[in-house]
Amino acid sequence: MASLSEEVLLVVKKVRQRKQDGTLYLMAERIAWGPEGKDRFTVSHLYADIRCQKISPDGKAKVQLQLVLHTGESTTFHFANESSALKDREAAKELLQQLLPKFKKKANKELEEKNRMLQEDPVLFQLYKDLVVSQVISAEEFWANRLGGVNNTDPTLFNNKQEVGISGAFLADIRPQTDGCNGLRYNLTADIIESIFRTYPAVKQKYSENVPHNLTEKEFWTRFFQSHYFHRDRINTGTQDIFSECAKQDEKGLKSLVVQGVKNPLVDLLSLEDKTLDEGYGVSTTQPSTSNANRTVKESSNYAIIKRFNHHSAMVLAAGSRKGETPADQASETSSTDGNSRDSDFFQPPVKKVKLQEAIEYEDLQRENRPKTVALNLKKSDRYAHGPVPLQSQQYTTSQDIINSVNYIRHEMANYKPNLTQVVSSTAASSAIVALSPGGVLMQAGAQQAINQMVPSEVQGELKHLYVAAGELLRHFWSCFPVNTPFLEEKVINITFIGVNDYCHLC
Amino acid sequence: MKLNIEGLLVYFPYDYIYPEQYSYMLELKRTLDAKGHGVLEMPSGTGKTISLLSLIIAYQRAFPLEVTKLIYCSRTVPEIEKVIEELRKLMEFYSKETGESNNFLALALSSRKNLCIHPEILHANIVVYSYHYLLDPKIADLVSKELAKKSVVVFDEAHNIDNVCIDSMSVNITRRTLDRCQNNVDTLQNTIHKIKETDAAKLREEYRRLVEGLKEANVARETDIYLANPVLPDEILQEAVPGTIRTAEHFVGFLRRFLEYLKSRLRVQHVVQESAPQFLKDIFDKVCIDRKPLRFCAERLQSLLRTLEIADIADFSAVTLISNFATLVSTYSQGFTIIIEPFEDRTPTIANPVLHFSCMDPSIAIKPVFQRFQSVIITSGTLSPLDIYPRILDFRPVTMASFTMTLARTCLCPLIVGRGNDQVALSSKFETREDFAVIRNYGNLLLEMSAIVPDGIVAFFTSYVYMENIVASWYEQGILENIQRNKLIFIETQDAAETSMALEKYQEACENGRGAILLSVARGKVSEGIDFVHHFGRAVIMFGVPYVYTQSRILKARLEYLRDQFQIRENDFLTFDAMRHAAQCVGRAIRGKTDYGLMIFADKRYARADKRGKLPRWIQEHINDGSLNLTVDEAVQLAKHFLRQMAQPFRQEDQLGLSLLTLEQLQSEEMLQKITQIAHQT
Repeated sequence: MASLSEEVLLVVKKVRQRKQDGTLYLMAERIAWGPEGKDRFTVSHLYADIRCQKISPDGKAKVQLQLVLHTGESTTFHFANESSALKDREAAKELLQQLLPKFKKKANKELEEKNRMLQEDPVLFQLYKDLVVSQVISAEEFWANRLGGVNNTDPTLFNNKQEVGISGAFLADIRPQTDGCNGLRYNLTADIIESIFRTYPAVKQKYSENVPHNLTEKEFWTRFFQSHYFHRDRINTGTQDIFSECAKQDEKGLKSLVVQGVKNPLVDLLSLEDKTLDEGYGVSTTQPSTSNANRTVKESSNYAIIKRFNHHSAMVLAAGSRKGETPADQASETSSTDGNSRDSDFFQPPVKKVKLQEAIEYEDLQRENRPKTVALNLKKSDRYAHGPVPLQSQQYTTSQDIINSVNYIRHEMANYKPNLTQVVSSTAASSAIVALSPGGVLMQAGAQQAINQMVPSEVQGELKHLYVAAGELLRHFWSCFPVNTPFLEEKVINITFIGVNDYCHLC
Repeated sequence: MKLNIEGLLVYFPYDYIYPEQYSYMLELKRTLDAKGHGVLEMPSGTGKTISLLSLIIAYQRAFPLEVTKLIYCSRTVPEIEKVIEELRKLMEFYSKETGESNNFLALALSSRKNLCIHPEILHANIVVYSYHYLLDPKIADLVSKELAKKSVVVFDEAHNIDNVCIDSMSVNITRRTLDRCQNNVDTLQNTIHKIKETDAAKLREEYRRLVEGLKEANVARETDIYLANPVLPDEILQEAVPGTIRTAEHFVGFLRRFLEYLKSRLRVQHVVQESAPQFLKDIFDKVCIDRKPLRFCAERLQSLLRTLEIADIADFSAVTLISNFATLVSTYSQGFTIIIEPFEDRTPTIANPVLHFSCMDPSIAIKPVFQRFQSVIITSGTLSPLDIYPRILDFRPVTMASFTMTLARTCLCPLIVGRGNDQVALSSKFETREDFAVIRNYGNLLLEMSAIVPDGIVAFFTSYVYMENIVASWYEQGILENIQRNKLIFIETQDAAETSMALEKYQEACENGRGAILLSVARGKVSEGIDFVHHFGRAVIMFGVPYVYTQSRILKARLEYLRDQFQIRENDFLTFDAMRHAAQCVGRAIRGKTDYGLMIFADKRYARADKRGKLPRWIQEHINDGSLNLTVDEAVQLAKHFLRQMAQPFRQEDQLGLSLLTLEQLQSEEMLQKITQIAHQT
């Protein structure tokens, strides 16, 4: 088994496995163990198959290392070299520690995911056994449309997790603490850094530009917290710091946003007023005006705070929806270039029309128009209510038949005259009573026995599996259409073949 | 549905109707029948516009000779567009029901770039435009002069109509204005010289016309063809233009003299306040300008500009402004005041002289409208107290009514928070404005609310300066950081573009479930023009009572005038003004019966009867004794309870028969009885 071309990374002698002495080899892609004196491996695991390694506690007499596989099996190695057991184990452990993650990242995510899905969903597991293990369809085909998410770029599907937004108060969480000697301590966590980066891409850019070439990470954050950029309420002291560019960039971004204007015309304050008075007319503002020119320092600082909050909230909001934003943006771009030019007086922009309609709508004044539903049309409602009943060989009696016969019997009984000379024998009479008692031959049709009580549960289970498997097969079958590749064509033929052979008796 | 309003067939384009809509139409019809004016207050979100349109159009169709035109004035562009949209809906309903394509012509004028003085305006059955087209004499002269007398004029959202009137008649003159005016006059002189050489006949013809006087205008006014221009006094129409300004050169010389005089007036070192007669006396003493030629100034300039065939009148806006001022100041001896301020109060070192010629009497601008048109309807969601409008606008209405909002569930929850949890009285009054304890308690209120109110909260402050100070203070105390844990914060600024963006982001944050707070300013653009329907505003917090900035000299002059002329006490007017703005602010959040929201009045002064009593009836009737002087904690408890109740599903069936009626329900005797109680007559 040991191919010579494999690169051996580590060899540890005197390693026992199942009470046998031997040698442990760590190679490029697998770990292997061979008993002493033999030149073949009795144990060999690909790194990709290993879920994790465990080691015995330091104080223990036996120095061991256990490998747990994805299948759940485990292999334990006992390092038996008296003098260097611990050192050997550490060496192997260290190397594995480096190697395992590499492989894990590649294959195992998928494998683990499949494993998890099968474990969590017994029906899926059964289906897997029915179709894949029995080789009706290949494993790839089976997983192809179930596991769409794994290879997909969209992690939401397979993680089943929502994208987490950013807390609006993440900067508040980095409350500085005084360290007792004229300094401040900021506590940063990975989450907060992530939040800062997502909210302020400009900072992230600065980070990747400067760390670690120019600054250490610590220096970078120290400067960040010292910068005017962080303390936006302070008036710029004119110091040259690396973040002044960020502030400019933000400013630019904000400006461009403002210039772009708003999409919803109902919140556009610029076009709110139909006619502002001509210059020189009107009662001049009754409030003391605060034009930029003659603001006091305090006022400018207040204004800076307000601006900063608006900007921060906008950035947090944008960070939360950055992923979904791109297609929407494209859509709006294309719609604005499709001839509906904005300043055309004859076209109302569609957004505006919709918003106006919404604004004047009184939903409660209108008759409710729920979406129309199609009523379920059942031919035999009793069958829908009771489920399948065993088919009886005798004729099916309609309710009209029963009513007729009841009437007939009533009529008969009314005119009944006992003919005492021709009574039946006592044995015949008692057998007739038995036959007419509950459970008797003639009473079977009356006691409606549900089929699920008559059929043994194994058969039922089997039937369920067959049903699910046939359904899955059909799904594969239909998903082949339109057949436009030879592969699909082959698949259709295969499934048809299997279907006819294995599952036709179901139909 | 088709309604029978006292014998009038009204097409109403909905399947159901609110009881108050029926009541509103009833009052409206009575007003039209009486050919008089009306003041009607009905909460927003109860379908006021569609009720107005439905009834007046039905009236117009039934009595085409009695009412020939509907002139619908609203305030903002979105409002105007909404009216058009509702009108379209109504017209579609008409053609669907009657089967005939409608022959109604509706015309909307909005924004000056589409300003259309097409004769169609004369033929249209319905005209929708902004207030200014009727109230601002400069525009009204161009657009609305020839509108038929038998028109119904509606001023919607009319709670601020007095300010619009005042604005349209007030003039401010700065040094810059005078410099530009100087250029204008120079240009005029040059043009006259040129024309004199090439086409002297033209000037002679003008002279001849001026001798004839403004007879044409006089005839028109006497025969009632035109809407009167309040700038143009009656008397001068009968007179010829005085000889001193009849020739073009004399007039330009006259303008120069006037200009020099104004320049000298702007060179003052201290604040001057005087009346129009004082000003006229001074100008006569100093530069021997008589009252009479001043009165003809505006008209004379128009004539000159026409004669000189000047295409771009906008270039001459400065000289037009000055001549309008000349005419106004010499025409009205009352109702105006002149204030000359050498510098702004806040920056006494920077010379920036301004001459304010302020109108103090809104009735001057609106008088021609009331006189000319047979019915003028003043309506809004907040017009309380109703009786003050007829007083300050000087007219006699035949109907005054305030309508409540019939509710199947109480979807508004007004709370008056007068104390902090530490029992500190909450108020924005001047003495405690800087008080740390008040600011902290206000912050605490917002913080607590941000934790329990879903989606959007809008908070209003009394002024920008006040808001900026409070925000800075909250920031320093770390209150804003704590609020950020619950919601994002957006703040109105004085830059409209910036605020628009903040607004859109605010709505986005409400929409995606994150929730947001908008800090805004009463009397600002947001408070006047933006609706916060449903989740865009689940709570409105009014921090303080939004009194107008009382230190302004113009306001003081106006208050004095109101006291002397209309016997309205200063305090009454200030409170009325503050309360109408407060009502506007809190009313932003309730935009219909399916909507719901908290209205938090955070100032102990709201609990007083003189304040509370000036709120609209539909808000007032939900304030009970238990919600008068709450602490922050108590308000939070009540709010929690309210929000939990409101979050339950609310279906159409819940409303039917109570606050929503079918035609059959409407026609029942019992309901008609009830409906008569909805309109509260004063």
